[in-house]
Amino acid sequence: MITLKFILNGKEVSITTEPHIRLLDLLRDKFDLTGTKEGCGVGECGACTVLMNGRAVNSCLALAAQVEGYEIVTIEGISNGDVLSPLQKNFLLHGAVQCGFCTPGMVLSAAALLDQTPNPTEEEIKDAIAGNLCRCTGYKQIVDAIKETAKELQVK
Amino acid sequence: MRSTTIEILFPRNLSEALSIFSDAKENLKIIAGGTDVVTGIQQESKRFIDTEVLVDINRIPEIKGIEVRKKKISVGAAETFSDILRNNLIQNELPLLWKACSSIGSVQIRNRATIAGNFVNNAPCADTVPVLLVYNATVEIESLSSKREISLQEFLQGPYKTQLNVNEIVTRINIPIPSKTFVGDFYKLGRRRAVSISRITLAVLMDMRGGIIDEIRIASGAVTPIGARLTGLEKFAEGKEVNDRFFKTLASKMGEEIIKITGLRWSSEYKLPVVQQMFYQLLKSIEQRSL
Repeated sequence: MITLKFILNGKEVSITTEPHIRLLDLLRDKFDLTGTKEGCGVGECGACTVLMNGRAVNSCLALAAQVEGYEIVTIEGISNGDVLSPLQKNFLLHGAVQCGFCTPGMVLSAAALLDQTPNPTEEEIKDAIAGNLCRCTGYKQIVDAIKETAKELQVK
Repeated sequence: MRSTTIEILFPRNLSEALSIFSDAKENLKIIAGGTDVVTGIQQESKRFIDTEVLVDINRIPEIKGIEVRKKKISVGAAETFSDILRNNLIQNELPLLWKACSSIGSVQIRNRATIAGNFVNNAPCADTVPVLLVYNATVEIESLSSKREISLQEFLQGPYKTQLNVNEIVTRINIPIPSKTFVGDFYKLGRRRAVSISRITLAVLMDMRGGIIDEIRIASGAVTPIGARLTGLEKFAEGKEVNDRFFKTLASKMGEEIIKITGLRWSSEYKLPVVQQMFYQLLKSIEQRSL
């Protein structure tokens, strides 16, 4: 067993765990943060995307022990309590959520993009979410929601 | 998920890592981005069934960073593809490497996966291998008692086999900066544009002078058992006059060369014409940009 310290959704946390479980399992099973989904489990679908020091990563490809000292943000850390983030609000407004399984990963990939590239082109948006598969909503609404959010954040 | 636990070590510098490797056995594996190792463990792949110790090399400063050393660009083994893509030196001096890195996986994969991780397991489909081969890249390898630098071609021994011993680690990849007269391109064919295992990769670097091919370097990946330079083809092309007919001859000769290496396969009927056509188009685009 290993004791890890890291920052999870803005709060310093400490947890004792088997070192070789995946970050995905640590988040879901030890912290009950079930917004992070497991889809393929091999880094192809992006449903398990979280932010690691601000960068989008697949939590199914990182081991729990590797997050020591890092800052992790999951979908639960994107909203401010009950107040949705601009991205979340726009996903709803543009009908970018159907079954919702890919949504947490999509929102986090989009958040990482807008953090680094506040005014992305459509190509940049598509590249940012190329690692997030959606099988029911369709990508147009998702791209629209991200575009709209970028526009809103520019005005502010 | 496996029931036996794995110990994970986090060396803080290279000498700490080298002493861990010095009495390493087959039960020890290195982990960096985890894109290969974690899925391997999770899927109980044979390659990791005996793994008891993982050494995380992400916190070793000596194997990070991109810098110029003796007219070569030296890339730290644990440098992620995202960091490589953000580097201006790579973009300006090694555009084929930049292009190959940008074609790998997705943003999430590129944020974690590392350059050495791409070739240390010598998978035939490693996207950076053909470009590193045409750039004549060398690999720096260290153990507690030795340090050596060999060409990437020598390093890659056979499918999933390399020269790396269990007590060694790849520390840096060194790439000579090619003269500006070299123009090249990289091509990748996958089932879709993102997150796909390549079916065909090609890299070509050509130095054309006065309508004559002065030097040409050609490498393939995924269609050959390991990424490899096609030296026979290179020798055939050097000194020849550049024209459309010659490019067509060269492309059809490339097909013969690949068949010689791999034998006829069920996929040859599809892959061969694609390889030949794409190689021809690469040559045409390089010719146009060389003028």
